[in-house]
Amino acid sequence: MLTIYKNKKDIPDGMEYIELNDVFFNKNTVLKIDEKAKPMIEQIDEARLINKFKIESKFNGVVLDIDCLSTGCKTVLNVLYFPDKVFCLKECGDNALEILYSLKQGAVYSDYALIPFNMESVQVNSDLGKMEIDDYEKLKEWWSNEE
Amino acid sequence: MKSKPIVMEHFSTIHTSYIINFTFTNNITLLTGSSATGKSMSFSFIRECMAVNPDILCLNYLDYQKDIKTVICQTKGKLIVIDNADILLDDEIRKYISLDDKNQYLIIGRNPKNLFITKENLFELVSSKAGEQIEFRIEPYL
Repeated sequence: MLTIYKNKKDIPDGMEYIELNDVFFNKNTVLKIDEKAKPMIEQIDEARLINKFKIESKFNGVVLDIDCLSTGCKTVLNVLYFPDKVFCLKECGDNALEILYSLKQGAVYSDYALIPFNMESVQVNSDLGKMEIDDYEKLKEWWSNEE
Repeated sequence: MKSKPIVMEHFSTIHTSYIINFTFTNNITLLTGSSATGKSMSFSFIRECMAVNPDILCLNYLDYQKDIKTVICQTKGKLIVIDNADILLDDEIRKYISLDDKNQYLIIGRNPKNLFITKENLFELVSSKAGEQIEFRIEPYL
């Protein structure tokens, strides 16, 4: 289940926070890319993974370096391959959010709500402790509550 | 917020098989939408134009270490294009941008906070085939 933080101070000591998903992906995640990434790249970017470093563009079939993936897709892959880190959620579009919320593990941070309409259960962490939420409106409410 | 674009009403460029054809109706355009619609790709084509067009200033995550507010405050008469805006722009910069009458903005992101914008400022990227090329335009989001 995805873990969500809305305050940076709630991120546990020793759990690194990554704000620049593009840079982290290009330097780290890219080396871990395997078959697991394929369906995610197809669903989010509608691109085809050719190999670890190449994708085929949805626009014109041109082969591009994998650094041309969208930031939203890179964020999802960062969370997938590095569940021990917390990644900034803010640059994910709706299509990336839906996949992100379905991940079995991983952690993200945003100080404002970013929720897909079709969401699965997530674990939220704040001053009030940990809680599991599986409802759009409840999650929105948690995000907007000052603590 | 309705305010006429003060630098340019139209921007177009070509980069190999891609055409950018943007028409601006407001001084602040927030280009939003799903991931992978071509927003950052369009940004890279506009940034290329900085080499030949003095009216354009482009900022993205590569400028993360810069004092963005100082950069913007020292700029006059340009179309300032900001990709990765949701991580680059804090509340203070957003408020400055909302009141800036010296520059025009194309902001690529999803968070409208403190920009004091309305649906007239919200646009999405639309692509279509134009012969062998692909044309990107901006259209109202809502």
